[in-house]
Amino acid sequence: MTAPALSVTDLRVSSPFMELLHGLSFDIAVGERVGLIGESGSGKSLAATSVMGLLPDTLTATGSVRLNGGDANLLTADERRLNQVRGNTMAMVFQEPMTALNPLMRVGAQVAEIMTVHRTQNGRRQAQDRAIELLAQVRLPDPAQAALAFPHQLSGGQRQRVLLAMAMANDPQLLLCDEPTTALDVTAQAEVLGLIGGLVADRGSSLLLITHDIAVVAQVCRRVLVMHRGTIVEDGPVGRVLAAPKHPYTKNLIAAADLSVVDDRGRLRTPPAARTLIAPSRIEADAAPAAILPPYRAAHQRLAPGGPPIVFNEVSGEPAIRVRELSRQYRRPGGRLFAPKPIVHGLRDLSFDVAAGQRLGIVGESGSGKSTLMRILCALDQPSSGTVDVLGQQLGGASERQLREFRREVQIVFQDPMGSLDPRMKVRDIVAEPLQHVGRAEMRARVEAQLAAVGLDADVMDRHPHQFSGGQRQRISIARALITRPRLLVADEAVSALDVSVRAQVLNLLAELVDQYRLTLVFVSHDLGVVRHLCDTVAVISDGRIVECGPTGDVYDRPLHPYTRKLISATPSMPDLAPRSAP
Amino acid sequence: MVLVILRRIVVFATTVVVASIVTFLLLAILPGNAARIALGVQATEADVAAQATAMGLDRPPIVRYLDWIGHVLVGDFGTSTVSRQPIGPDIADALGITVILVLTSVVLALLFAIPFGILTAVRQRGPDGAILSGISQIGVAVPGFLAGLLLVTLFAVTLRWLPAGGWVDPADDFGGFIEHLILPAIALGSVQGAVLSRYVRSAVLDVMRDDFMRTARAKGLGTARALFRHGLRNAAVPVMTVLDLQIATLLIGAVVIERVFSIPGLGSLLLDKVALRDLPAVQGIVLVLVVFVLVLNFLVDLAFTVIDPRLRSAS
Repeated sequence: MTAPALSVTDLRVSSPFMELLHGLSFDIAVGERVGLIGESGSGKSLAATSVMGLLPDTLTATGSVRLNGGDANLLTADERRLNQVRGNTMAMVFQEPMTALNPLMRVGAQVAEIMTVHRTQNGRRQAQDRAIELLAQVRLPDPAQAALAFPHQLSGGQRQRVLLAMAMANDPQLLLCDEPTTALDVTAQAEVLGLIGGLVADRGSSLLLITHDIAVVAQVCRRVLVMHRGTIVEDGPVGRVLAAPKHPYTKNLIAAADLSVVDDRGRLRTPPAARTLIAPSRIEADAAPAAILPPYRAAHQRLAPGGPPIVFNEVSGEPAIRVRELSRQYRRPGGRLFAPKPIVHGLRDLSFDVAAGQRLGIVGESGSGKSTLMRILCALDQPSSGTVDVLGQQLGGASERQLREFRREVQIVFQDPMGSLDPRMKVRDIVAEPLQHVGRAEMRARVEAQLAAVGLDADVMDRHPHQFSGGQRQRISIARALITRPRLLVADEAVSALDVSVRAQVLNLLAELVDQYRLTLVFVSHDLGVVRHLCDTVAVISDGRIVECGPTGDVYDRPLHPYTRKLISATPSMPDLAPRSAP
Repeated sequence: MVLVILRRIVVFATTVVVASIVTFLLLAILPGNAARIALGVQATEADVAAQATAMGLDRPPIVRYLDWIGHVLVGDFGTSTVSRQPIGPDIADALGITVILVLTSVVLALLFAIPFGILTAVRQRGPDGAILSGISQIGVAVPGFLAGLLLVTLFAVTLRWLPAGGWVDPADDFGGFIEHLILPAIALGSVQGAVLSRYVRSAVLDVMRDDFMRTARAKGLGTARALFRHGLRNAAVPVMTVLDLQIATLLIGAVVIERVFSIPGLGSLLLDKVALRDLPAVQGIVLVLVVFVLVLNFLVDLAFTVIDPRLRSAS
């Protein structure tokens, strides 16, 4: 029996205040592909950085990390020895493709550098030539040209391929990937995962793939480790763990990740609530309740290539949103000195309606125009041409004065719950900010009631955003959005930054609140599973146009447009995975 | 890249034109009449009016501006109202001295700030880093003229190693020129160096936390190698932004330092001419000082374009 490629024994990592990893032990056999899953804060990245010897100075690691059954414990090895191993025997791909490359250096040179550092190629020229070959292997178009590009000239998916080319340059025996596709679109994710699988198989390398997405593990790995609060709670073949998880935490994680499983009230299964959360309370509507709307069923239509523009989801009568022939162009700065600036089409000739009470999901890849559309619907951006009516307000050319009522009735929840809350404001002030002309006592009462409605206890009012987890911050954002009793709620990737179990909780909360407040919902997301769960209607947007729109189930089960089919096939879905990856 | 540089040149030229107009207008609207100043307080109104006509002051401002700037472009700054001599040659001599003084002090400041800043960043957690950091903090707090006076007291008065002031032309006596340059350049550069070293330190600290530095370490580069091959060029970008902003401060510092060391540079010339109320000369000197700052800023801008490829593409 050959020695394992990686052998970790009793790995403990501590900060000056507490132990973060509590004695991890696992082996990875030569050529084996192992997934490591867990929520943020569970210690998965810490485990990988310990193996690479790249822990921050403030943390200390004990235990042992050995490669190929070698005697040397990498945790106690000196810097010189580690430098020989890193990038050579083992290599790592990181999560953030946007920042993981040196912005001032051509990517070809960055790939070549890892070979010149370890002298695996004879001289600079050979390393450069080999770098171009590697860029071809990760299927960058026109690799010789791509090698001369600077990182900012490449897309996120392309940068991640460059990092992969770099990591595989010296044929490492062990490849560590830390959330390599989390920042990417579904189609780019599918391509990068395919590349990782292929490159690792070609070289017979072992793989440790860290992710929070169980579906990603199922696609690439045979074995999975589940981490929870600094310990490995489950270890087994992917098929077995997915089909019959043993540890309660794994059961919860898998249940929460699977958006197709709901209970009899249509709610996602969630792990038991954390201590700080309370059961959301209902707020009695203070105004006369709106009429209960009959569910509106959209027609299922697609855009024919070269065909005439279509009015999608046309609503007879008075819709909540009516968009006709909406276009948005930008002038890109640059070009010739005095020539007109090139025009970029953000949105082209969009026409659609949203009925009051409808839940419309807008899906598309980054750059498709979905964020532009969201900004226009919220009157944060102006259409170049066409008309946009939202809740009876004509948005094109409306002044801020005219929009005062509109601003109260339309509220937004943004993606990044860290970046969209002012770090210097208390929760009480954040939630109360949209309220105007309200007395102190009433303000306090309403903030308290609103926080209760999103499941937060009143004693959070005097804390600041950094004292909350991502899910709690998103609850605060939702409370802030709902305190004006809006009629339309727009959510921009509102759950994309959250862990699966938290995501399930926030999705349940959103669904409940939308029902309770009788909101019209526009939910922008790149995650098709989330949209399928939450929305009754979906519009697929590509290259500034809606290419398909219809009832969610119909669009997902019988997609009409090739782009929709591509998008759906690129998304790994949970139910198909367990049987497929079972040994 | 050529396009971007061309664009920067256009911006630079426009700024110079605007700056010249502002300079002209500021001195034109100041109270006081150049003709009366030239003649003295005893002159009659009729004499002043005649003198104003002779000096062309009765023409509309736009004509006076074009006349002035047209002559300045060919190096003619007009005639001093006090000495009746052409101003141009005086300004040219003084400018040469100030350029040498300022550039030497920039170089000295950088030679001090870069290694010192990197060292304090790398040794951030050690006691030596804290001590070095404290020293630079003191440097930031000391005004340039005080540094100059202290240097004179120590090296010129007490130790008698270097002259206390004055200036020697390098063409006449190069050794003497260097001797006279050292103290004022250090006095002017030390404060800038201390300030810059703080920025170098924080830029290096920021860069060391960047993701691409972790990538570099993961490639097998040691900490020092990663810093030299990937970190420093990235750290240079924010430091240069600060340098750009400091140039104007440096020139103001030069005006004071030239006084302290009795150096006949632009600063001394400006103060002399202000005291004599020689308005045409003041106007010329101010314009030259402004253009000097703009030229240095322009050069820093160009350096940005060379260092950072993101600024090179036209978008």
